[in-house]
Amino acid sequence: MSSQNTLLSVRGLTLEVIHNNGAVVKNVSFDVSSGEIVGIVGESGSGKTLATRSIIGLIAPGIRHTSGSILYKGQDILKAGDRALRRLRGGEIGVVFQEPMTSLNPSMTIGRQLEEGLILHTKQTSEQRRTNILHMLTRVGLKDPSGALTAYPHEFSGGMRQRIMLASVMLLKPALLIADEPTTALDAVVQRDVMELMVELTKEQGTAVLLISHDLPMVARYTNRFVVMERGVVVEQGTTEEILSAPKHPYTRKLLSSLPFRGDVRSIDTTAGPIVSARDIVVDYPGRKSLFKKGIAKRALHGISIDIHPGEVVALVGGSGSGKTTLGRTIAGLVKETSGEILFQGKSRRSDWFDYRMNCQMVFQDPYSSLDPRMTIMALVEEALRLIPDLTTAEKRQRAAETLEEVGLDKAFADRYPHQLSGGQRQRVAIARAIARRPKFLIADEPVSALDVTVRAQVLDLFSNLQKRYGFSCLFISHDLGVVEQIADRVIVMQDGEIIEQGDRNAIFDTPREAYTRKLLSAIPALDLNDNGGVKLKWRLDA
Amino acid sequence: MKKFTFNGVIGGTIIALLFVVAAIGMVWTPFDPMKLSFSARLAAPNGLHLLGTDEFGRDVLSRLIIGAQASVWIGLATVCFAVLFGTLIGLTSGYLRGWVDGIIMAFNNALLAFPGILLALGLLAVFGANQYGIIFALGIAYTPSMARIVRGAVLSLREREFIEASKVMGNSEIYTILRHILPNCLAPITVLATSMFGWAILSESALSFLGLGVPPPAPTWGNMLAAGRPFIEQAAWLGFFPGLCIAFTLLGINLLGDALRDKLDPRMRGLK
Repeated sequence: MSSQNTLLSVRGLTLEVIHNNGAVVKNVSFDVSSGEIVGIVGESGSGKTLATRSIIGLIAPGIRHTSGSILYKGQDILKAGDRALRRLRGGEIGVVFQEPMTSLNPSMTIGRQLEEGLILHTKQTSEQRRTNILHMLTRVGLKDPSGALTAYPHEFSGGMRQRIMLASVMLLKPALLIADEPTTALDAVVQRDVMELMVELTKEQGTAVLLISHDLPMVARYTNRFVVMERGVVVEQGTTEEILSAPKHPYTRKLLSSLPFRGDVRSIDTTAGPIVSARDIVVDYPGRKSLFKKGIAKRALHGISIDIHPGEVVALVGGSGSGKTTLGRTIAGLVKETSGEILFQGKSRRSDWFDYRMNCQMVFQDPYSSLDPRMTIMALVEEALRLIPDLTTAEKRQRAAETLEEVGLDKAFADRYPHQLSGGQRQRVAIARAIARRPKFLIADEPVSALDVTVRAQVLDLFSNLQKRYGFSCLFISHDLGVVEQIADRVIVMQDGEIIEQGDRNAIFDTPREAYTRKLLSAIPALDLNDNGGVKLKWRLDA
Repeated sequence: MKKFTFNGVIGGTIIALLFVVAAIGMVWTPFDPMKLSFSARLAAPNGLHLLGTDEFGRDVLSRLIIGAQASVWIGLATVCFAVLFGTLIGLTSGYLRGWVDGIIMAFNNALLAFPGILLALGLLAVFGANQYGIIFALGIAYTPSMARIVRGAVLSLREREFIEASKVMGNSEIYTILRHILPNCLAPITVLATSMFGWAILSESALSFLGLGVPPPAPTWGNMLAAGRPFIEQAAWLGFFPGLCIAFTLLGINLLGDALRDKLDPRMRGLK
């Protein structure tokens, strides 16, 4: 690329933590040319967010810039005054943050929030502003743009909010858009729609994009060039093609090998009959009641029936609001079914609830809230054994220690508290707690979606090893089809509280029948490994 | 990691001192706090009477020492009352929700809407002005705010996944409440309880000041403060020293409360 085309040039950027002088971003350099999409890939703690925030002059408190420069159109941002920075922010460089729930002001109407930037950065009349805003809202796919002007953020779904966020940024026609994990909080299908929209819009306006994400396939899909960061250092950068096909740095190879691959086909013995089956499960959530009228119930599940056989891993997939989590929680006994029945080993689970409880355990999504912060790791696992009859205290302790060992946490962890552990370690504790009883059936609700790519791969490995060793059946709830492809024997696709398709994993992934399934699949790539440790990503065709 | 914070040490020392003084007062005081002496009326602090004497010639220091007992006892008993019933009500209300919560909270809010001191005054009129009356009245006046805080904590805790995990493990609801919910409410309870200890001492003083506290001649800091008021120009020490005692005790309690909250929270016990 020619130098006069370079829009942004980061050179040797180093940021330090003030109190201990530890560098969190070390000697980072990269360029972005006009109209180009460049990705930055890294896991949590890689410094990717710190580095990119400093591009708009936002350096977190407690962090200090020590060396290097950030040149935007030849001007050093780190030396620019507040006035110049204010002109750049929004007007020249737009930012879309990860969390659409918090990046819009909840007490301002959409119209006013969008207008704010226009008032600051342009000299348009209020008539022009209104026309432009309406045009942009239509462009990002809002069905009722003039109605949206007077609506508040909470009236929109996460995907819609992210579109609005994008609209507010693109209204100002910035030359550079920084998108920091723009779709991480959204479910797979919505994620793809928002990304496509972002790419289209920026292409129309000739805006360059700096796309920051932990999701390597997503970044690879939309960029020509990307940068890989690990612990504050750029370990590799180059064209997407090059990095994917021949990764040079071990960390890049590790990232690529951590991507979920299709697991082996296993034969499941179904002759003994299902271990857990749900029969015509209907769940209604009560509507909001007022003083004089009974609220109208919202039906979350419309008569669902599923069977899970011994030793089988069944994945429940679908977007948010599909009812997959409600079904999992109903089977776990956390939500009461309105009608229908759940059978355990052929008998109604109500006939022996204690036995069902002993044999049906659950792993939750959020490792930060699923462990009691006041209990040590050992106490947490031991608690799961509390109700087991005929096991002495010493045996329980022994079993808890063994289980912790099995999930890869040695004795040193026993006396720690959850907050002293990383997300991956916490999820290991949660798994240990669930399997300590040796249950016959496990429900896992998005167990790895809160984890980083490489940690996710390790936890998934652990999970399938344990599953093979103990042979428990599992209902695996996930919106991430990549993970499902790796771990599931059978897949059930849900939409709006109903099962729309189910079948063996390979059948669903290779020959999906329903349009919705195809749409879900289009969000993840199929991977082909090559000999250099690289991969070829094949995107499945859209419906 | 530092074991105690600076604030914790200061607060702890002040409160420990208060308890020690109250304990000493049970066996020994420099003078008989009830002994009248017309020759030594309104004596300024001097070598014999370190903090002076009051309008009846009673030794102020001795009376303060005895008054500490009343303050500590009333403060502690009131806090125990409010913590016990407030926590019970808050846990029940927050955990059960539904109509139980509705009724309890309606009642609670009605009580909260009353100024605490007014409520205590009304109750004292019914139960009679003695220390048990005060404890009971203040306890009832403080219970609603404790119940409210605990309920709020419970409401947010019961939605957390570790509570659901406990249910999935098959633990009974009582066990879940005692093992998982209550310990996680300890931080707000501690903070509120320590401030309440302070308020209780202050309210007891206020009630005594209004003439509804522990009846004279028994000394409490509050009635000493009240008794000193007419003499503020001739003998400022009569009001000054009881006031100082109250102020220092409150300071100590607040410092200790903050330190305790940090101490009780395992998240604050980092590996550092």
